[in-house]
Amino acid sequence: MNQAKIEKLVSRLRYNVGSKPRKLKNVDGPEGRLRKIKKTLTAVIKYERIELNYARADETRGYVERLISEALRHGPEHGETMELANFWIKEKQLVHKLFKVLVPRYQNYTTSFTKLHNAPCIYPGYAYKRAILELKGNIYPTVEQSNPHQHNLLHNILLDAARKEYRMEKYKEIAANMNF
Amino acid sequence: MQVFNRFKSTCITLVNDFKWFYTLVPMNDDFSISYLLISNEWLTRYLNDFSLIKPLIDKGQIVKVYVLRQTYNQAKEKRNLLFEEEKKRQRTAVGRIEKIEVKYQSPVEEVTLIMNKCISTPMDCAKHISEGVSKVSAIAMVDGSPWDMNRPLSSNCELKLLNLLSPENKVVNTAFWRTCSFILGAVVDTAFKEDVTVHLHSFPVPVIKSGSFIYDVYLDLDDWKPTDQEMRALSAQYVKLINKELPIERIEISERLALDMFQDNPIKMTQIPDIAKIGDYIDISKGPMVGNSSLIGRCTIAAVHKIPEKESLYRFQGVALPKGIILNQYAYGLLENRARKFNNTTWSVFSEENNEVEDVKVFGRN
Repeated sequence: MNQAKIEKLVSRLRYNVGSKPRKLKNVDGPEGRLRKIKKTLTAVIKYERIELNYARADETRGYVERLISEALRHGPEHGETMELANFWIKEKQLVHKLFKVLVPRYQNYTTSFTKLHNAPCIYPGYAYKRAILELKGNIYPTVEQSNPHQHNLLHNILLDAARKEYRMEKYKEIAANMNF
Repeated sequence: MQVFNRFKSTCITLVNDFKWFYTLVPMNDDFSISYLLISNEWLTRYLNDFSLIKPLIDKGQIVKVYVLRQTYNQAKEKRNLLFEEEKKRQRTAVGRIEKIEVKYQSPVEEVTLIMNKCISTPMDCAKHISEGVSKVSAIAMVDGSPWDMNRPLSSNCELKLLNLLSPENKVVNTAFWRTCSFILGAVVDTAFKEDVTVHLHSFPVPVIKSGSFIYDVYLDLDDWKPTDQEMRALSAQYVKLINKELPIERIEISERLALDMFQDNPIKMTQIPDIAKIGDYIDISKGPMVGNSSLIGRCTIAAVHKIPEKESLYRFQGVALPKGIILNQYAYGLLENRARKFNNTTWSVFSEENNEVEDVKVFGRN
């Protein structure tokens, strides 16, 4: 059993990579696919939050995760990682950002580094689903809107009371069955 | 055609045309209608002995049975009439129309509305603001205190509109629960057939945490245990009523007039000032209610329990959610099951709420 363990070879991502790569149809074929992903990946690292079509966002997300986790594992001294970063990131100064800003930011993260939200399709719009792709820990206000009065919503009050009643019954049952 | 169903089903309708007669209407194939007028005792006999009617039904002679409920309807009509008169009187008592300034703080900006004193309601203000706001607003806060959507504003004030999907204040939930009880009363009031005497008793102060809204009703039935089908029929009636999207009107009236309105109901008579009304149904309420029945979404009338130690007093219990709240079937099932248990919230314990203001609500008849 001299086989190398797979997790030692590749970074373990906290993101489920799809089973099949998307083709991201274009005239240049697979080369064009790489060009598209490079462009989007660079934009994500540069702007930290972008809105685009869902398929392209989801496809790029895996590449961003992988690149950041490689940078985290090996650092800027590692030749292969630097080569990888230079290949995917189209602007030189963003390579510096990757190692000097993003790597320290994600040092202690236990979750994925990116977040993907479904975005609304503004009428009349196109047939494609829209999405928002962002790097976690950015400076912008959150995309999700949470209801500040959630605990006051009627069904939450009812469910809360039902849960309390159920627990009280259980406690009584336990107390009744106790043997000293 | 089910004559023995305890509820009036669609085949049995009330008619006002004939006084003190129960009428059977056999309808012929060629749609020429012949009437069969019979006396009270005969009808009772017919209804109690299904075999007398059955041959007629089998032959297709009787298609509809009309049953008269003259006395009951008269009382109801009178009550509605009194309500309308009082509303008109209060409107004319305003006299010369004065203007008031209503400041409304929207999420975006502060709006100042010039409204009519003692005529314009928060609902009117909401209509000026936007259709969306007027549809979702359940209750208004006028200078920080709860105010019905259909109650006229009396002076310059700061207005805030609360909705059920973002309840900044728990008052709106309480009002919703109270409205559910109120509508339950209206449903029970009309659901039973004529041979059952129904006197609405009261609906206690809403306690949401008890898991169900309730209405206590005096029923002239011994130890009635409703079947599953009957409960479903009641729930269906409830849904039918709220789907009419009726506004809930409100006026303040004197004790004397209230006594006059509820003359037919011996129980309500003793409670004045503790009274309430729906469709063409009037009732007394102790607090504000939401502005429209369309705000109620999913609902179930879960159980009917006989109140122990009280004769013929039944407690109707139900559970409802505001429109727009989506809850999965399992979680809603939990709430339904809890609502089926006897809710022992009593009237006396919570009756310390102020009895000074007497609010009579009307569900407008549109």
